[in-house]
Amino acid sequence: MPDPVSTGGCQCGAVRYRISGALAEPHICHCRMCQKAAGNYFMPLAKARKSDFSLTRGEPGWFHSSDPVRRGFCAKCGTPLFLETVGTELLYVTLGSLDDPTSLPPTRQCGTEAKMPWFGNLEGLPAEETEDSDAMDGVPLTAITATNHQHPDHDTAKWPLEQER
Amino acid sequence: MSTMITGGCQCGAVRYSVRSLGRASICHCRMCQKAFGGFFGPLVTAHGLEWTRGAPAHFASSNKVRRGFCDKCGTPLTYDWGGEEEIAIGTLDDPEQAAPIIQVNPADKLSFFETLHELPVRTVVDNAKVAEFMAGIVSYQHPDHDTENWPPNHGEGSGNG
Repeated sequence: MPDPVSTGGCQCGAVRYRISGALAEPHICHCRMCQKAAGNYFMPLAKARKSDFSLTRGEPGWFHSSDPVRRGFCAKCGTPLFLETVGTELLYVTLGSLDDPTSLPPTRQCGTEAKMPWFGNLEGLPAEETEDSDAMDGVPLTAITATNHQHPDHDTAKWPLEQER
Repeated sequence: MSTMITGGCQCGAVRYSVRSLGRASICHCRMCQKAFGGFFGPLVTAHGLEWTRGAPAHFASSNKVRRGFCDKCGTPLTYDWGGEEEIAIGTLDDPEQAAPIIQVNPADKLSFFETLHELPVRTVVDNAKVAEFMAGIVSYQHPDHDTENWPPNHGEGSGNG
């Protein structure tokens, strides 16, 4: 069986990556550094060997969140993409930046000392189904879906895509 | 009693203050997933938002909406639709100030979302190699409060990398 291949990238598509090989230990980290770096309640990550990893478009920006760790992001749209343990053979990718995040469910949690107290209740929150007639903060959703500038969830030959911006 | 509501990016180049917070939500749409590199986007309406250090860069994710982020460290910061901006809840110095009350765009919800909280928990002590790595971490994350100077003195924060 051939090795699995995973692709992904940032929201605008300026940075794209490819991993030829297994992504290991998909997990969610609740630590305060992952929270703030992600602007979120936790950061979902999985491990790749650097030898299996390649950038197929662009270069990320980097922030050294500590000496041993730097975090890669798209400097054009801000999407958090990577966590690298410097000097090792390992690099982590954010699971939401994968073109198919459904393919890799997380299997464990860490950093739970900073876990939000309501984390276990998120799935129980009331949910709003999207209707074509919906508006988000007064903006018609049709205006957003008709002009979506997000890079598609697959590699493309050209970027930016040939469309009105 | 007035509680100061402040926040900012991981490196601290961009900081903000907010007078009060509106509705907090988590959005499952694929645009929020990819913009945050996460499983959903947690956003809360910010009343009286002021940038107190630096300013976010922006990506127009559609012709109606732009998303603000720190171009020095990448932290997603805002959802700007032209009216009162929404801020990414994880960037609040105290995210517990914005407990979400609703989920939106559940059509794009990831299949494993509902069981995330049931995942086994790995603690640092479970793994000697991890414990050794964590012990060596000196955080360069901006502390969860405003500071006089930036960059701040390193090592004030906490976290795992």
